[in-house]
Amino acid sequence: MKRVWPWFLAVLIGGWLPVAMIAWWWNASAGSVDPFFPPLETIWEQFKFNWIWQYWGIHVMPTLQNLITGFLLAVAISIPLGALIGSSPVAARYVEPLVDFVRSIPPVALIPIFILLLGLDSSMRIMSVAFAASFPILLSAIEGVRTTNGVLLDTATVFRLTRSQVLWRVRLPNALPTIFAGLQVSFQIAFIVAIASEILGSGFGLGAFTLIATDSFMILDAWTGVLLLGILGYLLNIVFDVVERISLRWYFGQKKLV
Amino acid sequence: MTAPAIVVRDVFMDYQTPTGVKHVLGGISYDVSEGHFVSIVGPSGVGKTTLLRLLTGLAQPTKGEILVEGKPLMGAPEGLAVVLQDYTRSLMPWLTVERNIALPLRKSKLNKSDVRERIRSSLIEVGLEGSEKAYPWQLSGGMQQRVSIARALAVRPKILVMDEPFASVDAQTRFDLEDLVLKVREDFGITTVMVTHDIDEATYLSDEVVVLYGTPAKISEVIVIDLPFPRSQVETRNDHKFSELRTRIYEKVRGLG
Repeated sequence: MKRVWPWFLAVLIGGWLPVAMIAWWWNASAGSVDPFFPPLETIWEQFKFNWIWQYWGIHVMPTLQNLITGFLLAVAISIPLGALIGSSPVAARYVEPLVDFVRSIPPVALIPIFILLLGLDSSMRIMSVAFAASFPILLSAIEGVRTTNGVLLDTATVFRLTRSQVLWRVRLPNALPTIFAGLQVSFQIAFIVAIASEILGSGFGLGAFTLIATDSFMILDAWTGVLLLGILGYLLNIVFDVVERISLRWYFGQKKLV
Repeated sequence: MTAPAIVVRDVFMDYQTPTGVKHVLGGISYDVSEGHFVSIVGPSGVGKTTLLRLLTGLAQPTKGEILVEGKPLMGAPEGLAVVLQDYTRSLMPWLTVERNIALPLRKSKLNKSDVRERIRSSLIEVGLEGSEKAYPWQLSGGMQQRVSIARALAVRPKILVMDEPFASVDAQTRFDLEDLVLKVREDFGITTVMVTHDIDEATYLSDEVVVLYGTPAKISEVIVIDLPFPRSQVETRNDHKFSELRTRIYEKVRGLG
């Protein structure tokens, strides 16, 4: 029982402002005849009609699939690559300027290039997401692996761990908190690119849906698209936090004691 | 007299620094007999830790040679374990106590149940049975240092090297850990080399105390500690011979006499 109370309090503290704003929006927009700002109640009705579960399959699933496939691809490539680069100071010095240059290009600007290379199907969208999401992960992996403290490495050396054991069992786990910070940034970029990649040449996906609705003055649909994007982004972030909390239990536990 | 476990012959160590070459060690020669407990003391910055890094194969001497168990040192030698001062950074915080102890055993060809047995017996030796599943950061400083000692013992080392092992724990814990080291030494007969800045501790634990002095550092004296075993915190430290010995070491460390 005692553990429930702080949770309840946290929800209360964090939740009152959003609830108040929704209530205000609901009341202020009630009876609105402005075509661009329909009553929230109408938006809500349309929201339920669109997303439970009318368009879920053709608009939400493709976006989520591209997002998650692309993101996982970025993770699978960038963490090992970053770990390898980071464990060699020379390699890091060679690669970093290039990585810094490419990641400075706004990822959305690269989508046309991917269209040229891969056409307009979902492989282009997945690759755009994977590419854009790679850089924060790569950089954080390089940085995290490079800055392993000397005492840990000395210990590993004296106990005669092999080079690959040092990399996978000492340097990489030690870098995980840094890598997770990179993953968080990368996930947000992946979400943006996943939506933006649908703006060109697609009839499916949340980005396409919202844009087409806006262009054809179906303002109500556009509102429901924007709302769903917000909710999805929020929920995905929560999932992300939970995964982080579980994977880095040792790190948060240690920090709490210091 | 048994064969020396460690032979240090004419070892010089220079460091390249931005302001020029720094001569740290200027010709160290010393044999550590098998089963002996040797402490290295000296004023701070004299090169104690440098010498220890050479013994563990973490660095190569500029000149001279080091033999461990009769073999010239090439990288970290087999059968050597370390306990470092900074236990918070030498134990892996993402591994539980048992996994920390098991980490150096990965290379050995032990099967799972042997590994578990090693973990168990090492933890019993240091008085931490039952802490297998805890994370290092959930334990006190003294307990964490016991885990590093257990990890060192689990590889069944012939030689144990310790760098200021008890410098970051409180006085009471320090006495307990000193007695633990004496017990470990009695149980396993491991050759032990310890770097310390604590002269009392060196006197209490050692068979011989090596005093480094000067720039570059040389061995200014080797003092044989002929206090009887078993030693005890109360009796040994009250022995007038103990005071004599520690006074002599102190004078040598200070460059007096």
